[in-house]
Amino acid sequence: MNKFRKILIIIVLFLILILSLYLAMYAGYKDFGINMLCKAFNISEDTDSIILTVLRYPRALKALIAGCCLALAGMFMQSVSKNPLAEPYITGISSGAGLGIVLSILFFNSSNYSVFGFIGALLSSAIVIIFSGLSKFSITKLILIGLSINIFVSSLISLIILVNPLKSYMMMLILSGGVTNNEVISNKALIILFMILMFITAFFIPKLNYLRLDSDLLSTDKKRRYFYTLIIIILASLLTSLSVFSAGILGFVGIIAPQISRMLLGQDYRWLFISNILIGSSLILIADYIARTVIYPLQVPLGLVIAFIGAPVFVFFLVKKGDIFSD
Amino acid sequence: MININNLSYSVDNIKLFENANIQIPKNKITMLVGPNGVGKTTLLKIIAGIIKPQIGKVSVNNKDLFYLPQRIKYPHGITLQEYIESSFYKQNWKWFLTKEEKDKVNEMLNILELSDKKYTLIDNLSSGELQKANMALGLMSEAHILLLDEPTANMDLINQIKILNMIKKLTQTGITCIIVLHDINLASDYGDYFIGLTRKNEILSGVKKNFISSDVLKKIFGINFKVINNEEDIHIQICN
Repeated sequence: MNKFRKILIIIVLFLILILSLYLAMYAGYKDFGINMLCKAFNISEDTDSIILTVLRYPRALKALIAGCCLALAGMFMQSVSKNPLAEPYITGISSGAGLGIVLSILFFNSSNYSVFGFIGALLSSAIVIIFSGLSKFSITKLILIGLSINIFVSSLISLIILVNPLKSYMMMLILSGGVTNNEVISNKALIILFMILMFITAFFIPKLNYLRLDSDLLSTDKKRRYFYTLIIIILASLLTSLSVFSAGILGFVGIIAPQISRMLLGQDYRWLFISNILIGSSLILIADYIARTVIYPLQVPLGLVIAFIGAPVFVFFLVKKGDIFSD
Repeated sequence: MININNLSYSVDNIKLFENANIQIPKNKITMLVGPNGVGKTTLLKIIAGIIKPQIGKVSVNNKDLFYLPQRIKYPHGITLQEYIESSFYKQNWKWFLTKEEKDKVNEMLNILELSDKKYTLIDNLSSGELQKANMALGLMSEAHILLLDEPTANMDLINQIKILNMIKKLTQTGITCIIVLHDINLASDYGDYFIGLTRKNEILSGVKKNFISSDVLKKIFGINFKVINNEEDIHIQICN
């Protein structure tokens, strides 16, 4: 595959991202024309500006960040485990985040549940990584320990939801993910954390090009390989936790964005880095646009929309270009 | 010089090595021969430091090792050139390869006569070509000790000889090679030093002159050989 084709694919993906950004910010029940773009940066008091700056922009920002983080985390996990089924939540993050969210609703009744989800995600992935490193570290062990923790904590979450019927609807709704939570303070923290993480991520991307070689070929370089692998797993956990912070638990994006990228561009991670950012964020932006418009004024949970559009898109790509998966 | 002292190693209660002492000379090609399952690969892995000896000590002067395993999994969807370039992302924090590194890759592709397959996806290469690509990784790794487990498996006769010629040249530039090879004739042509492992956990070693003889080979493989030695070439025939 030549460079020209890759550049073309990136350009197309970039245009799709621009389109989805437009949809996320300026289209919907309250439709803004292109001319709103000029107005966008002037802070004024009319309702249009308020809708944009208070509702639409933060929402688009969160969708964008969540998409980037999930797609990159998925790419990281799939590359270090060399398993196409690996996903960002594999290190026990979804259940850890879920427990954080459920507990925060149960005890604090606060709107700051995303912070608790973030803390829960960080804690659970730390536990899983530490457990898998206690004796000889291996990726397979990490996946299985993550799976066990996920099952254990998910049952705990179900139990909490079942014994608290009064709050169970609220819990279920928030657990299904979304970008509606509005906290101005957390937005700033979110952007700063995101920038820092992306900066570190960019440093480690070329290392994935090294790690794609067979692990036996790198066996005389074990220490370096383990070091890179560990850093990449930690980075993936941080990215996923950040996505929980911004959009709750959203399944599937972390699997399909990296897979579609690989089908389109092969396995040069420098290209995959860019395409994952583009595909992941477009996917969530479009899904969020559908989530808030399809049965207006009600909102469909974002997680469900992602599943509804993600699954057919993924199957389409698998049928068309899935021949890279040979057993 | 690689020194292995007092090595004992067993797998599932089957002893592969017992109090073995092995010396491997520097800047030479050492051929590791023997029937299947006597521990040739295990010995390579012990030298490479991938597995630790249960008893005993391995002292390797230079820690720059490259180990070419028998079976390798390949990433999908990258070209041969990208595959070989992979190893350059090991150090530093760069996103792009330097001009010198790219030249080096091209030069290596030329030497291995893979230039025309440069942009071919590695999924579409033959197993011999893939094996050459792996050799390229080894040659470019700047390792001082190459541990090659059947490097010429899957190659046609001409390529086998080309690769072995190249390895021979390398040893003149200060590289030590330890090769597992099943073709005893090729081994005797290219080897400087020989180590034979037998089913009775014996280790026979020596330079070509002493090692390539029907007695030694019979001890190792358990069948009769006829060794024709006319000063320059040595021919080994199997007499069954």
